[in-house]
Amino acid sequence: MTKAEFTGALRQRLGGLSAEDVDRSLEYYCEMIDDRIEDGLDEEEAVAALGSIDDIVSEILSDTPLRELIKERVTPRRGLRIWEIVLLVIGSPLWLAILISIAAAILSVYVSIWAAVISLYTVVLSLGAGAVSGFAGIIFSAVRGNSIASVAFAGAGLLCAGLTIFAFIGCNQVAKGVVVLSRRLLLAVKRSVAGKDVGK
Amino acid sequence: MDIQLKRGLLEVCVLAAIRSEDSYGYQIIKDMKPYVELSESTLYPILRRLEAAELLTVRTAEHNGRLRKYYHITQSGLDRLENFKVEWEEIMSIYKFIVREDEQGDKG
Repeated sequence: MTKAEFTGALRQRLGGLSAEDVDRSLEYYCEMIDDRIEDGLDEEEAVAALGSIDDIVSEILSDTPLRELIKERVTPRRGLRIWEIVLLVIGSPLWLAILISIAAAILSVYVSIWAAVISLYTVVLSLGAGAVSGFAGIIFSAVRGNSIASVAFAGAGLLCAGLTIFAFIGCNQVAKGVVVLSRRLLLAVKRSVAGKDVGK
Repeated sequence: MDIQLKRGLLEVCVLAAIRSEDSYGYQIIKDMKPYVELSESTLYPILRRLEAAELLTVRTAEHNGRLRKYYHITQSGLDRLENFKVEWEEIMSIYKFIVREDEQGDKG
């Protein structure tokens, strides 16, 4: 890939950023390419040394707040004409409803995922409660002189305690996975907002 | 290594790379290379964050008929480096504690 091809591709992928941010990124990477060429590499080698464009874009996007990406995306490049404003106002029951439902859909995905995680922890909690009451049962039965019940309570208590520990470890892993997943989801949303810019 | 920890460490490394004299992107990467591998794509957001935090300033100067950005450490940047040394003492004492636990564990 030549320097011109590289800058063209990067510019396209960063379409969702402000023009100033795009220019800054391009200046930075052009300087890197030129410095490598000065260091003795040829142009294609210098571009290849920068790594994949995917990685470059990911690094830039993960450091840019989603709020800025969206703001850049929805701010018109020129002032709105009067008939556009009139249309926006007249159409507001439609586009506002669509916008709200999209936001609600995204929110509901997040809420349901975390609700699942919370319910898993609730299971852990109830197992823990089972363990505690099992052990309490040992004492009660022992006081009443019922040794068979006491042994049964001890068994149930131990079983619950063991399950609690295993389930707790499992839940933590799931919660960790969900955090990683939400981070990836955010990056994917950012990519879709920033890339494939057809408006310009 | 934990990504947040590494990110913080790399920021300090970049400040250290420009401590004695102003430097530019490619030179910073070359200077750090014997100690820590840093890619261009990783360096870029670090420089931006450091600039936003006013730990360094940027000036553009001409070099061989083209423009190059030079990074200059600010007083806050120098303070950050000094603070890091103090923080590191703390981290080292935590490390010693962890290793000590390990040694006791091995014996027992």
